[in-house]
Amino acid sequence: MKTYLGIDVGSVSTNIIALNEASEVLSSKYIRTNGQPMECIKNAMKEIARDLQNLEVAGVGTTGSGRQLAGIITGADIIKNEITAHATAAIHFYPDTRTIFEIGGQDSKIILIKNGMIVDFAMNTVCAAGTGSFLDHQAERLKVPIEQFGELALTSTKDTRIAGRCTVFAESDMIAKQQFGFSKGDIIKGLCEALVRNYINNLGRGKTLTPPYLFQGGVAANVGIIAAFKKELRHEIIIPRYYNVMGAIGAALLAKDYLEKNGYQTRFSGFEITDVNFVPKTFDCNGCPNACEVIEVTREDTVIARWGDKCGKWTNEISYSPPGYLTEAACS
Amino acid sequence: MKLTFPYMGSTIIYQKLLQLLDHEVIMPPRPTQRTINLGVKYSPEFACFPYKVLLGSYIESLELGADTIITSGGHGPCRAGLYSEIHLKTLRNLGYHVDMIVFDDIYHYPKLFLERLRMIKNHKSFLQLIRAIYTSYQLAHAIDSLQKFMEIKQAYELEQGAFAKAFEIMRQKFAKAANTVKDVQCLQREGEMLFSSIPVHEPPESQKVRIGIVGEIYVVIESSINTGIAALLNKLGCEVTRSLYVSEWVDHALPRFIKKSDTAIIKNSKKYMEMGIGGHEIHNIGHMIHYKEQGFDGIVHLMPFACLPELITQSLIPKISIDLDMPILTLAIDEQSGAANTLTRLEAFVDLVRNHKLQKAG
Repeated sequence: MKTYLGIDVGSVSTNIIALNEASEVLSSKYIRTNGQPMECIKNAMKEIARDLQNLEVAGVGTTGSGRQLAGIITGADIIKNEITAHATAAIHFYPDTRTIFEIGGQDSKIILIKNGMIVDFAMNTVCAAGTGSFLDHQAERLKVPIEQFGELALTSTKDTRIAGRCTVFAESDMIAKQQFGFSKGDIIKGLCEALVRNYINNLGRGKTLTPPYLFQGGVAANVGIIAAFKKELRHEIIIPRYYNVMGAIGAALLAKDYLEKNGYQTRFSGFEITDVNFVPKTFDCNGCPNACEVIEVTREDTVIARWGDKCGKWTNEISYSPPGYLTEAACS
Repeated sequence: MKLTFPYMGSTIIYQKLLQLLDHEVIMPPRPTQRTINLGVKYSPEFACFPYKVLLGSYIESLELGADTIITSGGHGPCRAGLYSEIHLKTLRNLGYHVDMIVFDDIYHYPKLFLERLRMIKNHKSFLQLIRAIYTSYQLAHAIDSLQKFMEIKQAYELEQGAFAKAFEIMRQKFAKAANTVKDVQCLQREGEMLFSSIPVHEPPESQKVRIGIVGEIYVVIESSINTGIAALLNKLGCEVTRSLYVSEWVDHALPRFIKKSDTAIIKNSKKYMEMGIGGHEIHNIGHMIHYKEQGFDGIVHLMPFACLPELITQSLIPKISIDLDMPILTLAIDEQSGAANTLTRLEAFVDLVRNHKLQKAG
């Protein structure tokens, strides 16, 4: 069976999905990265291979902050930024969508769509107060498992205003509210609303947000945040079925599209790579005072990729450059 | 007197001018992370990023033995005009014995300007001074013309890094041998020939993507601090044209009877901004409109984080973008900005621009 794999390596989770030729999702894995992207990718690939019998991989796409690493070890056909990947998946499932809210672990985005094309986007710039990590951190502080965080928010009937501009302020405001005797539910509801307010003010500034709204990314699992969005926008929002792996789906769709359009064969390295020893390491180049942190990936003692140097001294030594990334225009 | 100057663009232009006047010149090293760290350490936190980089750069030049800094001043609400005063104070507080020769606006302080010229003229005659200025002026134009050529064709180079290598070769030749206007012209032709010989693969016209870069002068011109944005866009397959090059900045500062007029471009901006507010905002807006007229596909707007004039431009961009039907991306640059984040945005922006172009084509 012909399958397309999509891999999204983010800061908090690593997601892998498999699509069939009709672009339907056959299998999806959502795994916490825990700072070990390499292991995560391998484990998730093994699981996919176990789930799906007689799998014939026809293409691979990677995205997320670890897209380059994932692309190199899997031999990806396309390595795409997460903005394009998320939008591609959203448009695939909801061709009429106009606004995509994506909140992940370390970053958040607003993507505006018109006629099935991205027309504008914004990504958080200055702080983490609008991301999943912020919620994780606060949940830990309140000793509430993150999975129950949202439901607890729904139990509150009061309006509690928490300063959400910055995590530090939010935290001290939260402590003050705790001391004033607000319940956990009230505080969590306040936090959810603060996050959404901050997110829309920061990223939506100067943009017209038009429905239908789509909300995806790991944080879309949080019903408290969903409620806060509805309240802030005074409108329904759609949570796609595969909300937490949309980036990976987008990457797979892009790979499929790219290969079909150009008539290329996949460069997929095969499932054997799950048994190959890849070692990423970093070293500081001391060729100049820039002291770039160069990242190097070795496969069985051979250096297969390097990046991170400003001048290209290390990168240029290696001829590997994946197609679709920095070398070819993938969308044309 | 060991002279040095701010690091901005191709520094050999300023080096040449001072050498032609028989000065001993200390070349400021190209800004690196160390430069930025030094600048950040000794600057107020909310000073603009260019201020910090320049301070770091001055410190590095002083470490190499410079004792006098030549720089430009300015007037108006933008803080850049006051950099020199604060830089000098800070450097002296740090214990450096340093002087500064500041060239302020020639229209506002013509006498002061001439006095400063006399200071750097050395033992040369005014005629020799004018010849030296003219030669370095031609040099600036020659280098910029090669750079413009490169930022367009580099998008299609077959061997990665070929243009960058050729440019470095030419830069060294210019530094060594461009002592008269004739040398400059000769080397420029040589550079053009060298560049034309680099193998490129140009896609059909309908698939070419042209990006214009506008923004605050320092972050637009100085590639070492703007994550080499022109080269990055080239790598993504886009032709790049910038609104500012060193030679144009010089043109802008020249007396009105000499310089080519850019009033036509500025006039375009009237619809959005009636007057200048101290930076290059009216030029930038004018250029955005100009790029549209020239059939560009997208615009990248660069600004140092919290740059006042460019913040105002940024607030006008949503409207300009709609009016022109042109995607515009603003990137704020400072010591906090991460390269990975910038790259993600740029990649997504280029995808957007390509799709926008395809859609318009039908």
